[in-house]
Amino acid sequence: MGKAKYTYDIVRPGMLYGEILGSPHARARVTGIDLTAAQKLPGVKAAINVKDPSDPAKAQINYQGEEVAAVAATTEEIARDAMRLIKVDYEVLPPLATIEQAMSPTAPSAFPRGNVTSPTLRGEGDVEAALKTATHVVEGLYQTQVQTHTSLETHGGIAEWDGDKLLLHVSTQGINASRDGIADGLGIPKPNARVVTDYMGGGFGSKLGADVQLVIAAKLAKAAGAPVKIMLDRKHEHLITGNRPSAFAKVKAGVDAQGKFVAWDSETWGTGGAGQGAGFSVPYPVYVFPARRQSHRDVYTNTGPQRAFRAPGHPQACFITETVIDELADRMRIDPLELRMRNVQPDAPNAQWKKYFPMGAEKIGWSRRHPTGDGASGPIKRGLGCAANQWAGAGNRATRAMCEITPDGAVTNRIATQDIGTGTRTLVAMITAETMGLPLTAVTAAIGDTNYPFAPGSGGSITVGSVSPTVRVAAENALKELLAKVAPQLGVPPEALVAKGGRIQVKDNPSKGLAWREACKLLGTSPIQAAGAWEQGLSSVGTSGVQFADVEVDIETGVTRVKKIVSVQDCGMIVDRLTAESQMYGGIIMGLGFALYENRILDRNTATMVNPNMEWYLVPGISDIPVIDVTLIDQPDRGVIGLGEPPIISTAAAIANAVSNATGVRIRKLPVTPETVLAALQQERAGGTQ
Amino acid sequence: MKPFAYVNAANEKEAIAALGPERGKFLPLAGGMDLLALMKDYIAQPDRLVNVKNLDKTIAKTAEGGLRIGAAVTISDLAVHAETVRMYPAIVQAAEEVGSPQIRHAGTVGGNLNQRPRCWYYRNEEFDCLKKGGSRCFAVDGENQYHAIFGDGPCHIIHPSSLAVPAVALGAKFRVVGPAGEREIAADQYFVMPDRNIFGETVLQPNELLTHVILPPPGAAKSATYEVRYKQSHDWPLAAASAVLDMSGTTVRGARIVMGAVAPIPWRSQNAERALAGKTITEQTAMAAADAAVQGAKPMSGNAYKVQIARTAVKRAIMKAAGMRVNWV
Repeated sequence: MGKAKYTYDIVRPGMLYGEILGSPHARARVTGIDLTAAQKLPGVKAAINVKDPSDPAKAQINYQGEEVAAVAATTEEIARDAMRLIKVDYEVLPPLATIEQAMSPTAPSAFPRGNVTSPTLRGEGDVEAALKTATHVVEGLYQTQVQTHTSLETHGGIAEWDGDKLLLHVSTQGINASRDGIADGLGIPKPNARVVTDYMGGGFGSKLGADVQLVIAAKLAKAAGAPVKIMLDRKHEHLITGNRPSAFAKVKAGVDAQGKFVAWDSETWGTGGAGQGAGFSVPYPVYVFPARRQSHRDVYTNTGPQRAFRAPGHPQACFITETVIDELADRMRIDPLELRMRNVQPDAPNAQWKKYFPMGAEKIGWSRRHPTGDGASGPIKRGLGCAANQWAGAGNRATRAMCEITPDGAVTNRIATQDIGTGTRTLVAMITAETMGLPLTAVTAAIGDTNYPFAPGSGGSITVGSVSPTVRVAAENALKELLAKVAPQLGVPPEALVAKGGRIQVKDNPSKGLAWREACKLLGTSPIQAAGAWEQGLSSVGTSGVQFADVEVDIETGVTRVKKIVSVQDCGMIVDRLTAESQMYGGIIMGLGFALYENRILDRNTATMVNPNMEWYLVPGISDIPVIDVTLIDQPDRGVIGLGEPPIISTAAAIANAVSNATGVRIRKLPVTPETVLAALQQERAGGTQ
Repeated sequence: MKPFAYVNAANEKEAIAALGPERGKFLPLAGGMDLLALMKDYIAQPDRLVNVKNLDKTIAKTAEGGLRIGAAVTISDLAVHAETVRMYPAIVQAAEEVGSPQIRHAGTVGGNLNQRPRCWYYRNEEFDCLKKGGSRCFAVDGENQYHAIFGDGPCHIIHPSSLAVPAVALGAKFRVVGPAGEREIAADQYFVMPDRNIFGETVLQPNELLTHVILPPPGAAKSATYEVRYKQSHDWPLAAASAVLDMSGTTVRGARIVMGAVAPIPWRSQNAERALAGKTITEQTAMAAADAAVQGAKPMSGNAYKVQIARTAVKRAIMKAAGMRVNWV
């Protein structure tokens, strides 16, 4: 085991292992729970109900895996066996497994507000009139699948009571939200709970709140009088910890003789599972469609509820829009890149597509792109595709930090952010060290603890924009206090001093100064503890980027291999190029999974997930990952902006467009499976749809 | 997990003594690549595991000029063995595609041949399918995109073993030992359809053990295996095929064509074999044989696409065996 201890690795003294019994049925009422046999198993220390058969509101099961009861035992194996001894009576109800079932007029009403929401309507201008001015119109049905987050470290943590105080080690993207959610779930004052997250093995939006596993662990810990750890197994991770909703879009779009988009008309729907919406918005706002008419409905099914998933709504909307654009270009017989250049939003600091598209085209070798349909002989067809992205990112104004300089010269910047694998700890240390003129090893970034000053959850690409300005301000404030101490010693005003190269020295006379440690000794017995609050101006909002894909498709098997992804992306000021590039690789690989492989497959008759594992829920492995060519554009004047979401947005759209360019048949559905490709080819041979 | 006893068998005799006649109660453990996952998923719940890793793990020449491969040989050892590489490309090419490097290093020849199906209705506890004593196959009106396109059920699994396909194509024999002594079973008699054994996929009795794979001398035969996979890393084939071509100059004297991942057993196509007899291998003759191979396929509601993939696998296996260039190999 390495030095970095993930929540999964942590073992507390006397710790028990908890297991949650999930419902095997997707729709049911719990009519009885009998814990007796589980409680009798040697090694079992606590067992509790989660559902309440006596209360209709708390007896309902709306999706497979929903929590019913839980146990804690001295080993994980005993806990698993005990969980299986819990006897539950269910009144099994017919489930809604698919969108088609939920939308059917004969479907049982499985949700209080109905299975389908009434349409929300949006729009601008006169779509009918605008379509009449179009020289080319495309119409099609576009769809994307449900993707689960598949975090390598599953959800869970350890709950440990000390009197009425609760210490929680949680695998979370938001320690403060986690603390508040767990405290609310238990009905205890929030300050009584403390959440610690040192290292985190992936969340992607699924670990921003609720933490029902920890509420259950805390109840078991209370009952057993010992710390309890619950980490979900892979199956339940797939079933209950969120997903990216499906998206369906019936689109009609038109372009005029000058190659300007004139209208977009869409009817969309999708499912976010049990009682959850499928938020996505088309057309993707990178492009200008002057007249628009949009209607959207959410469909509820008896499946695990959605949660925020890296760029919620964006990959779906990007795929739908960018596919329609390639179809329009094919109708016009013009280069799809040229069509994009004519219709992207006007240039702005956060809208640089007109600059990035040509850069990406150069890198992927767009000039050798053939019109749709590779004419080369043999079964292997090559194709290129592209797509654009945008994301907001921002900073949270409530972010605070506390920078401490102790008389021994140690520097610690404390902030209740968390490193979700993106390098936030590195960033806090880098900014602090640079501010103090010290090497990275001389400062400590203290994060991942709710006892530190507030920072927001790491979602929406806001971490770097919240944390970086705040730790910078805290470090500057601390340094200012130190300079004030040193100035009289050197006989100069504080503003004449600078911290550089491990010294405090006079700006104009560097030889006059003190080594850092000597300077700090002047503090005597009182450390400096300087607060920092988030400030406007050090961060910004809005990123833009483009991606290109180079693929090979075997038209005799339908198998696609991605050869290369090119990305040109900005994220404001780049604080650390290594971690930023790493974000890009991770996002693109996840986008590749969304494009080709990942798919939550439900048995249509029972709404049971048939692939709740990593054997049939396919994610890219090493051999599936192409060359990834990342160009990060530094915009130092804009300040820092997050980069978590942007890299995943355009990958699937670029790949699907490249597959269409290779095969000559339009791919309107994700993931691009061999079955989808072969079906599209067959349809084309049978006369096609265009 | 149900508690179980563990017997470390030093030899065949001890292994057989530790096995027993009741199905599912006493199970041999080699690499554990399949069995341990079955146990963790509560699909297998044996009373006793019998470690057979210490049985014969050598590859030896037979008197006839073939090879005798111990069932405990790991898949990675098989794939790099000089004689196997020289004599049986079809076996080596199948072995190279198994699982991941970790699985190939731990998994054994015997384990690969005897592993249980990957059908998700069989593997998920929620479904009481035919193989678990239930009354129906859930794939029929459920999710069957990876299921059989040959065989008519009643259970629609595809056989999971990559090595079984070339073993049948090459006319391998399996040495099996049991309480009554030893017997040799032709590979194409070893694997049986669900109507003959719903609780297993072979004729092996619970108190018997597969100990060796015996390959006949290849003579003038050329062989190859071609797998079509969705993902390139750690994935199961959508379809595979092994071709063994007995050549007389540039003419095919006789052929054996076997498909994998299309039926509950390795699926031999005598139609395809007849289509090749007397022919010179070209892309056209290979295609004609491939068309013949998938004649009679009966896809389920969601897997018709596999017919095209199986056809491609057969065509490319034949071309590859004949030494022609095949894409993506």
